[in-house]
Amino acid sequence: MWNQKKPPQVDISKEQSLFLDRIEKRKHRILWIQIALLVSFFVLWEVAAICRWIDPFIFSQPTRMFQSAIAMIQDGTLFYHVFTTLWETVVGFLLGTLLGTLIAVLLWWNPFVCDVLEPYLVVLNALPKTALAPIIIVWIGNNQKSIIAVALFTSVIVTIMNVLTGFLQIDQEKIKLIQVFGGSKMQTLKKVVFPANIPCILNALKINVGLSFVGVIVGEFLVAQAGLGFLIVYGSQVFKLDWVMLSVIVLAILAACMYQSIALFEKFLLRKRHL
Amino acid sequence: MRTIVSLEDVSLHYHSKNGETPAVSHLNLEVFQGEFLSIVGPSGCGKSSLLSMLSGLLKPSSGTISIDGEIGYMLQKDHLLEWRTVKENALLGLEIKGMLTPENTSYVEHLLEQYGLGAFMEQYPSQLSGGMRQRVALIRTLAIHPDILLLDEPFSALDYQTRLTVSDEIGSIIRKEKKTAILVSHDISEAISLSDRVVVFSARPATIKNIHTIELSIGEHSPMQTREAPEFREYFNRIWKELDIHVESEKTTTS
Repeated sequence: MWNQKKPPQVDISKEQSLFLDRIEKRKHRILWIQIALLVSFFVLWEVAAICRWIDPFIFSQPTRMFQSAIAMIQDGTLFYHVFTTLWETVVGFLLGTLLGTLIAVLLWWNPFVCDVLEPYLVVLNALPKTALAPIIIVWIGNNQKSIIAVALFTSVIVTIMNVLTGFLQIDQEKIKLIQVFGGSKMQTLKKVVFPANIPCILNALKINVGLSFVGVIVGEFLVAQAGLGFLIVYGSQVFKLDWVMLSVIVLAILAACMYQSIALFEKFLLRKRHL
Repeated sequence: MRTIVSLEDVSLHYHSKNGETPAVSHLNLEVFQGEFLSIVGPSGCGKSSLLSMLSGLLKPSSGTISIDGEIGYMLQKDHLLEWRTVKENALLGLEIKGMLTPENTSYVEHLLEQYGLGAFMEQYPSQLSGGMRQRVALIRTLAIHPDILLLDEPFSALDYQTRLTVSDEIGSIIRKEKKTAILVSHDISEAISLSDRVVVFSARPATIKNIHTIELSIGEHSPMQTREAPEFREYFNRIWKELDIHVESEKTTTS
């Protein structure tokens, strides 16, 4: 009477294995071309600098960047700047996501306040947040706190918008499910609305990594004390383009690593929660 | 027979910007303890509104509803929460009501065992078939020891074949647990096969058109076997006609 699920098929036909092979081959080809593109970019850059097609003084060149990287690793300055930027970014996007989610919860809780604040949120969302960076620095001071505040501000509005949309898109029938058991609004939030939106919050976290980096770099440009943003601005002012280019590349690697680790964390959490 | 639910002159109006819509109009109905009552009617006739009122989610605009017992509401879809195990899903209602006692938990485990879900307790809903999911939803409703079950087209999200088996299963479970049930459906066969009485609603605003007491000559039977009874077709035709008249009149008014 009670129907059970069928076990999955195990034996693979020849055509199926050929099909799987083709997919595998395509994947490999893509990876190799990606690596080749990267390598040839740097080789071309190096060759262009050696042959003086470009001026290495203003374009830098991979070997010079490598040398200054070694020097900066040896005297510890590179790690100092990297960790400064990393710290500010992590604090910025964690606070941004946390605060954004919290505000989204409050707005979901009170639809009237939500309707009142909606036009302001839309305008703030459209506004390039970095435009406010100088103001924030004037208010908070020329220090790391301002940089974190700028990073937080760049990510908080988007988080509110995304998470709130997620909250509001919850199936009304699922809310009814809680209500027919006599559940309160708090229980609706805790049992359904929040857990159902964990993917949405994790997605906000992913978006916020990038945004937080923008905020931090702009903040470091202005505060100009430490960090990769400072290195970029300072390097360009004293014509140490090796520093500038190196910083940009390190920043790219940093951002990619951060995004990947969030993506992994997301995958882990979603699998754990069977979403 | 003891009356467990009674509606006296109940009306309900919906308010929207475009005006007021009467959903239910001067309804009088009594439901007896232990009976299985179905309500059929054209779609959008206010059947679901009636269940919402019985469950206390909506207040009637006028009239009185008296209910002598605990209500359990089974929604159209199973709405199992994907991040909870089967058992955790079945315990949701108890959790919300603050009734998560060891006795109640073992009652839920017992129900899961009894209705073929024992091996799936620690699994997640994504691993269950549509019929199994619906059974978990029923157990979640039964867990709070309701006296009256409200079933809002609980099989309509399933494909036809699953639907037949699941309605058979759910019907048997409800009879076995000796619950009073009020089923809302637009499937006439389903209503006849499951019920002691079938109430036919008119188009919106809902009023009672007729009440059929289903008496079949085949004795002890499962809902599925009911469909083979000689009287089945007769009931079907009569109810069909009562619903059909409305479709005809709607056609003439729209054309």
